[in-house]
Amino acid sequence: MSRVGGRTALLAVVLTAVLVGMIGMKQWTLTTGTPVLLETAPVDPRSLFRGDYVRLNYKISRLELSKLGGDKVFAAHDTAWVVLEKAERYWHAVAVYRHRPDAAPGQVVIKGEVRWADGRGSAFAPPVQARQPRFLVMRYGIESYFVPEGTGRAIERRGAHTPLDILVAVDRFGNAGIKAVELDGREIYRESLF
Amino acid sequence: MSNRLFIRRLRRDLPVWQEQGWLAPGGQQAILEHAQAAQRDRHFLAFALTILGVVLLGSGVITWFAANWDLMPKIVKLGILFGALWAALGISSYLSSGDRAPRTGQAVLLLGLILYGASIMLVAQIYHIDSHYPNGVLLWSLGAFLGAVLLRSQAAINLAIVLAVIWTAMESLGFGREVHWAFLVLWAAFLPLIHRHGWRGALHLALAGLLLWSWFVFLNVGGFWRLSDKLYLVQVFALAYLALFLAGMVMATRERLAAEAGVVQRYAAVAVLLAFYALTFPRLQTGSFGLFGGRIVREPASAMWVTLTLVALALVVVLALWHRFAARERQRPAHLVWGQLLIAAAVGLVLANVFLGVKHGGMMALGFNVIFFAGAVWLVAAGLHSDEPFFINVAFVFFALALMSRYFDTFWSLLNRSWFFMGGGVLLIAGGYALERQRRRLTARLKGERPGVES
Repeated sequence: MSRVGGRTALLAVVLTAVLVGMIGMKQWTLTTGTPVLLETAPVDPRSLFRGDYVRLNYKISRLELSKLGGDKVFAAHDTAWVVLEKAERYWHAVAVYRHRPDAAPGQVVIKGEVRWADGRGSAFAPPVQARQPRFLVMRYGIESYFVPEGTGRAIERRGAHTPLDILVAVDRFGNAGIKAVELDGREIYRESLF
Repeated sequence: MSNRLFIRRLRRDLPVWQEQGWLAPGGQQAILEHAQAAQRDRHFLAFALTILGVVLLGSGVITWFAANWDLMPKIVKLGILFGALWAALGISSYLSSGDRAPRTGQAVLLLGLILYGASIMLVAQIYHIDSHYPNGVLLWSLGAFLGAVLLRSQAAINLAIVLAVIWTAMESLGFGREVHWAFLVLWAAFLPLIHRHGWRGALHLALAGLLLWSWFVFLNVGGFWRLSDKLYLVQVFALAYLALFLAGMVMATRERLAAEAGVVQRYAAVAVLLAFYALTFPRLQTGSFGLFGGRIVREPASAMWVTLTLVALALVVVLALWHRFAARERQRPAHLVWGQLLIAAAVGLVLANVFLGVKHGGMMALGFNVIFFAGAVWLVAAGLHSDEPFFINVAFVFFALALMSRYFDTFWSLLNRSWFFMGGGVLLIAGGYALERQRRRLTARLKGERPGVES
C-alpha cells in the first residue's frame, strides 16, 4: 500500500470509529440503563412537530425549586443532576444538585443542562441580584424523537386525554436515551440496534 | 522558460543571493511564494470547478437519502453511510497516488469529509442522539482536521476552520458561552499545519475566524445591560490586536515567517482600527448607551478587567521591544519612531480609562478620537513605506467612517433635520471625492515605485 493509501486508510478507520462510537455509547446507555417511564407535558403545538421529528417536553423539564431538595443556586447552561423517584406509574423529580449525588435505592440520577433559570434577568429588566431562581427549565438530551415522515401528525393530533409516555434508560453516568414511545399505554416505537 | 523551471532555478539561486546580502531577510521566502502562487493560479479554475462539482454531488446524495430514508432498515442506512464514506476516501487515495489526478483526489477527499459530516447527523437521527448538538460540528471539524494532517489537504483544513467557526458560533450565540475559550485551543492547533505547508487561503480563513470569534465574545460579554464590560473588553481587544500587528512586524523580520507576516498584519490592522473606532464614541465612554431609552451608568473596571488589560499591555510592550531588537541593524524609518509614540499614547489612554470613572468619559472619547485619526494616518505612512496598498485603502475607509460618525454625533441634535441631511450629503460627496482622490494618488505612487510597473 502506498503512503497516501496508508494514511487514507488510517483516516477512514478513525472516522468510522467515531461514528461507531456514537452508536456504541447510545446502545450502552439503552442496554445498561435503568428503565424510567416519564410523563410528557403539554407543549406549544406550533413547536411540537417539526419536520420529521417530535419535540418532547416532560414533567421533569420544568423544576420548581421550592418543591425539591438539593441546591438552590443555578444559572443558565449549568449542568444539573436531578434525582428521580418512582411514584405509582411515572418517575418524578425529588431533588436537584449542582454536583452528582449518590443515588439511594429506588432512585435514579439523570444529568441535564439548565436551559433557563428565572430570576437571572432578561433583556427587558435589569439583572436581579440573587441567582436563586424559582424554577429551572431543563434539557436532558431526550427532547426529540425522529419518526417516519407523516406519522408525527398522529402524535400531534392526539386528544388532550391521550397520554404520550416515554420509556427512557438512564445509565450510571446520568446519560439518558429513549427506549420506547407509548401512546395511550400502547407501545408505538421501540429502539433496536439494527 | 516554464514556470516550474523558473521556480527550480529560483530555489537554486536565492540562497546565494541571500548570502551576498542582495535580499532582505524574508525576501527569499516571499519571492518563492510569489512565483509559486503564479503556478497555482493556472490550475485554479479546474480546481474550483471540481470543488463546485463535489459540493453539488454531496448535496444531491444527501437530499436523495433524505427523500428515501424512511423506507430503509437501519442496517441498510448504516451500510450506505459507511460505504459512501469509504468509497470517497478510497477514490481520493487512488487519484492522489502518484501523478494520476491529485487535484481531483483532493476534491474527492473533501466529498468524503462532507459525507462524514452528513453521517454524524444521520447517525444521530437514526439513534435519536439528541445531546449537545454543537459537539457534532466539533467532531466533524476534528475529522476534517485529521484529514488535513494525514493527507496534507488545504481543502480539508479550510473545511475544518469553517466548521470550527460554526461550532463557536453555536456555543456562543446558541448556548450563551460568554467567552468560548475552547475555540482558541482548536484554532491554535490549526496554525502549525497552515504554516508548515504555507497555505495562504487557510491562513486568511483562520484569521477571519479569529475576528468572528472576537465579535461573538463582544456580543456575549455584558449582555444587553453591562455596557461597561463591553467598553473594557473593546480596550482589551484593541491592545491584543495591536500585539498581533506587532507580532506580524516581528514575523516580517524572520525568514521562515516572512511570507505570512503581511496577511497577519492586514487582519490585525482591521481589528485594531475597528476596536479604536468603537472607543471614539462618547456614548460608549460615558455609559449613556442605554437601550429602550434607559440610561446605564458606567461602572468602574473590575479586578478581572484590570488584569486582562495589563496582560494585553505587557504583550504589546514585549512585542514592540522584540521588533526593535530584531530590526536593530536596519535603519529605522520615521514612521516607526512616531509609531512608538502613538502606541505609548494609546496604551496610556487605555490604562487611564480603566481607572478613571464616568466623569471623564467625554475627555476619554476626545483622546481616543485623536489616537484613532493619528493611527489611520500612521497606517497610510506604513503602507507607503512597506509597499502595502491594503493599509492605505483600509485607513481611508476607516477615516471616512469616523468622520461621518463624528458628524452624526455632533450635529444630530444641533441642526434642524433638513439642514443636517443636506450637510451630510455635501460632506459625503465632497469628502468622499477628496479622500478617494488622495487614496488613488497614494496607491498610484506605490505602483509607480515598483520596478517594471507603469503609473
